[in-house]
This record gives sequence, structure tokens and C-alpha cells, in this order.
Amino acid sequence: MSRRRSVVLSMFLLMTVLSFVLVAPVRAADPIVLGCPLSTAFLYGWDAERGFTLAVEEINAAGGVQVGTEKRPFKMEVIDTRDLEPGVPVSEALLAVEKLILDKKASFILGGPVRSEAALAAMALLSKYKKVSILTSGVLTPKYHAMVAEQYDKFKYCFRIHGEATNLVGEIFANFSQLKEKYGFNNLFIMAQDVSHARGAADIVKKIATDKGWNVTGLEIYPTGATDFSLGLLKAKDTKTEIINIWMDMPESAILLKQWFDMKVPALPFGSTLAAAEQPGFWKATEGKGEYTLCNVVNAGNAPSNATEWTMKFYNAYTKRWNVEPEGLGTSSSYMAVYVLKDAIERAKSLDSDKIVAELEKTDLMGVYGRLRFDPKSHQVIPATDPKEGAVGSILQWQAGKRVVVYPKSIAMGEIQLPPWMKK
Amino acid sequence: MDILIYGTINSVTLALYALGFALVYGVSRLPNFAHGAIYVLSGFIAWSVINTLGLNHLLAIVITMVVTALIGSAIYLIFLIRVRGMAISEIIASYAIALAILEGLRWKGFKGMTYTLPVFIEGSTSIAGVSVDYQRLLVVGVGAALVAFLWVFTHHTRIGLALRGMAQDERAALMLGIDSDVMAVVAMGLGSMLAALAALMLLPLGNIVVESGYNVLILAIAVCIVGGIGSWAGAVMAAFLIGFAQILTVVYLGAHYQMVVALLAIILTLILKPSGLFGQQKELEERV
Repeated sequence: MSRRRSVVLSMFLLMTVLSFVLVAPVRAADPIVLGCPLSTAFLYGWDAERGFTLAVEEINAAGGVQVGTEKRPFKMEVIDTRDLEPGVPVSEALLAVEKLILDKKASFILGGPVRSEAALAAMALLSKYKKVSILTSGVLTPKYHAMVAEQYDKFKYCFRIHGEATNLVGEIFANFSQLKEKYGFNNLFIMAQDVSHARGAADIVKKIATDKGWNVTGLEIYPTGATDFSLGLLKAKDTKTEIINIWMDMPESAILLKQWFDMKVPALPFGSTLAAAEQPGFWKATEGKGEYTLCNVVNAGNAPSNATEWTMKFYNAYTKRWNVEPEGLGTSSSYMAVYVLKDAIERAKSLDSDKIVAELEKTDLMGVYGRLRFDPKSHQVIPATDPKEGAVGSILQWQAGKRVVVYPKSIAMGEIQLPPWMKK
Repeated sequence: MDILIYGTINSVTLALYALGFALVYGVSRLPNFAHGAIYVLSGFIAWSVINTLGLNHLLAIVITMVVTALIGSAIYLIFLIRVRGMAISEIIASYAIALAILEGLRWKGFKGMTYTLPVFIEGSTSIAGVSVDYQRLLVVGVGAALVAFLWVFTHHTRIGLALRGMAQDERAALMLGIDSDVMAVVAMGLGSMLAALAALMLLPLGNIVVESGYNVLILAIAVCIVGGIGSWAGAVMAAFLIGFAQILTVVYLGAHYQMVVALLAIILTLILKPSGLFGQQKELEERV
């Protein structure tokens, strides 16, 4: 070997050794992996993914999460569970959750599964692997937190940070009562999608409405993917219905509102879950025919309001990042779940699941949609109508191309209006 | 009256879904499981022509139908010709194409409910006290015109007669100089064009979603099995049978049983009369 070649080789080896020695101390800490099982082709999946991404980017840009003595960044791993698609079995979502835990080494599960049936089935899996999970989108069944309360030791790793069907029912009846008082409405027709939470909620609404003296003129259940609602609307019209209560998370629900407009059904469409109307694109998709439609976006921040100081800050940051306003019911809750988890990790100074559960139970954070606290027994976020007291909901109505929050009063930006063909 | 009006609309809708599928199978004995995917694809083509290229509605219709016909023909020439005559392989290959189209669309970001096509005529009217929108009435009119056109086409044009010849007896048609593969290409093109026509008529009533491709396929298969696979007249009859049965089910049992009707019709047909109402596959009946 020539002298020149040996000098070059020595320099190369020296640089290699130096690079290891010098770079190692400043190498980024291992990320904390957030496993996100989401039905990404659907609103309640992609809105959650965008909410998580925004929060993770903000937290990482600010230095990451303080775990004991080191700062660690968050890293998201998203798997499409497809659980909102018609005909996809629950087992697909379970496989996705298991893959996130075993293959992607997720420290926490955030987001879904999004369909209630799949989320309920995943609880046993989370218990088996002792993985802390925070549901942020789609799952509205009250059974979820009831199961945590009933079998706390088994399901204590499961949390939900958004409102559920019982809250939604309470919120819509508060509005129904106002409409009854103001316009004398008394006839209610219910349309629901053939999925667990919607069927359950529709039955509850029917029972409560009857008990409260409403005349329930019909209850129609539609298969997921239904594209024609004419006969149901005709029934509503024939029975002099004044409010149509809708529970549907399928994109085809936009068709229902177009048909409602074309048939000039003299009843106010009041969606509890109504995925199509939650999105800013609804106006264009229905060519404005969806005006006057009401829907519940479950938590504030998913439509513009001044619930807390953080609400519009989040709203504008999201709009800037994604070129679209916050869309579905899982947006602000997904965003806040990351911050709530960060808060719990920093207080626990550890990623240990049991310590995180204990800290999450102590959470008390003023977030995008009010004061965030979990019920220590059921791990359900505590709801309220005042953002200073708890997580506030948000019901909006489409008015002149805009989503106007009309409930709760503490954050309302306008009042419910009736379509011209309904005015008395 | 509402049962009569909406039963007719629903029946014509089913006929529109199924006629393309029936045509392709009738002529080339090819079960085109990509039919639903082609339906959805043509919806997105029309949407792109209107919203991306900025062309007007009528031009978009013409372009969509021509492009979809070419895609259908290309699917046959590139993929299905290689497995022709092998029934299971035909099903697997065409279903794989359907999956590739539908999942490809989803992968490219065609998801959600914001993709819509404009209606031809805005507004609604009242027939005997039943409110119905003009677009649905147009669907019925176009459906009736399509059936008439298909009859004239298959009875009074050279290509139509050749297609019928192939459908009735492929060997005899071959002896008369009719090229089996050319006719299959024509049938695939025409069948795809019919899927596009159905999409252009029906999608303005709602929105273009990838998942509807699977539903359209299931309904088209149900109509064709009940009507007798390969029989165009049978498909129309079956569409009315299933269409009215669905509406009666919605009215008297509940909307969530609607899809069961189509699936139940398949099961009952296969048990009671496997060749369907107007099926030409008598050997199937004999075997069973």
C-alpha cells in the first residue's frame, strides 16, 4: 500500500470514529410512537389523522415531550382500519390495532377504531397488551365507558376524549324543546343508519321523545351505503313531521339532504351524527341544497366559535396547515388527545401504562373545547354546556353557505333558522 | 301511488345498473365483475372533465361515454382475452380489475362526499300528490329510451344482429364469419358505455363514492341472476320485480331490509329456478 493511500485510509477511519463519538450525544432521542388505527378513507378517519398530525408537529417543533430527564419527539403510525366501510368485518380493525402494537411498537393507541363495534371489540386487545388508548373519533356508543366502569381493572387503559351518544341526545332535546316553545313543533321523524351507535341512539331518542310528549311519526333504519331516501321523506311529509332527526355517518347522507330540498319537505333536518353536513365541502356537494341543515360536530373547535382562547387559535392553525377548515367530529378531540397525553407523560415522567392511566385520571386542562377532565371511574371526558366547567359540544346550522354554531348558548354564534317553505 | 312512482324509479335504476352487465355476459359469456368499478370510474371521469378541464355538461357526457367504452374494450383486449372461456379465471381477473380501479381511485384521494355531478333539470313536481324530482323522471325516460334503443340496435343493425348471433349460438355465428373476439370487444365497450350512462344519470342524484361500485355490482348480478343470465329482456323484468319488491319492503317492513331483498332474490332463484326467469342456460337447470 502506498504511503498516500494509507494516509487517506487513516483519515477516513479517523473521521468515521469521530463522527460516532461526536454525533452520538446529540442524536435525537427515540420517538414515542403513537399508533393511530383510523378508517382513513372516511371523514372520521382523515379528520382525526390531520388533528393528530397538527398537534404532533407543534409539539415536536417546540422540542418534544419531557419524559423524566430527556426530551422525546412524538411519531405517528397510521393504519387504515377500513371499519367505517360497509361489509368490512370488525376483525380487520383488530388486526390493525395488533399490528400497531406488535409491529409498529406503538406506545399508545390514539384515535380509533372508529366504528363503535370495532372499538368495543378492541378493548380486550388493549387490556391484553396493557396499552393506553384514547378514543378521539367516531365511537359514540355509551357502552364503551360503561364497560370501563363495570370492569375497571380490565379496561382501565381505555379513555374517550369526545362526547358520546347520551350527551348528543341531551343536546338535541335541549334544542327540540326550544323549537317546541318557539314554533310549536311536536312531530318528530327519526332516520338512522344501520350501525350500532345510530340504531341505539335512534331508539333512545324515540323513547325519550315519546316520554316528553313528542309525537314520533316514524323511525326508519337505512343500510350503510343507501342512496335513496325518498320514501322515508314522503312518510315524513305525509305525517306532518316538523323535525327530522338524522343519525348517519355515511357520505351518502348528503343525498338525503338533496332529496329533502328537492321535495321541499316541510321539516327541519336535524342531524345528531350527520357526517356529510359536518364538512365545509357540504355546501358545494349539495349545491346549497343543504342550507338550514343542523348537525352536531360533538365538540367545539370543529366549527368556528370562541369557546376558549385556544379554539380559534386551533381553528386557524388547522385551516392554514390543511387548506380546509376543521371538518368532522374527530378533529379538535384528536388534536387535544395528543396534548392531553403529553401532559400526562410529563407528569408521570414515564411511559409506563399504569402510571399514565393514573395521570390521565388527574388531567385538568383548558383545551380547545373547554376544560378537559376524565371521569376517574369510566374514563369518559366530562361534558358541560359551559367551557369553563367541561368539554362543550357544538351544534351548527348551515346558513348562507356558512357553518354557524347555534348551541350551546355559551358559545353560539347565531340562532336556528327555518327554511322559507316552513315558515308559518 | 308513491309505491307505483318510486317502485318504477327504483326498477329503472336497477335496470340501468344491470343492462351493461347483461349485455357483456349475453354476448361473450363473460361475467364482468369490473362493471361496478367502471360505473364509479365513469363518474369520476365526468367529474374531472367538468371540474378540471372546465368543459360543459353535455360535452362531458359524450367524452365520458366514449372514454369509458374505450377503457372497457381495453380491459378485454389487455386482460380478459387471455382467460376467455375459463369461467373462474374470468371472474377472478375481472374482480381483480375492479379492485384495482376502486382502490386505485381511493389511493389517489377520490374519497369523501364532495364529488358530485350536476343534475340535468333542477326542481321537482307533484304526480298525483307525490313529490318527485325532475332528474328521477328523466332517469325513467332515459331507461325506457335505452331499452327501446337496445331493441332496435340488436334487431336492425349489422353489429346488433352480430351481437345477437353471438349470444344465441357462438359456433353458428363463427361459421357465418362473425369474429368472436371482435364482438366481445364491442360488447365490453358497449357494456361499459351503458355503465357510464347509468352513472351519468344516477350519480347526479347523490355523490360519487368509491364504495358504491361494490353495491352496483351486487345489484347488477342480482338482477341478471333473477332475470336469467344473458337475457336482456329478463334483466329488465327482474329489475322491475326486485325494484318493486324493494320498495314494498321499505314501505311495509323497513328500509334496512332493502338490500336483503336483492340477496334473497339471488338465493331463491338459485334454489327454485337456477336459469332465472328468461335464462338460456337450460343445462344448468337440468343439472340441478
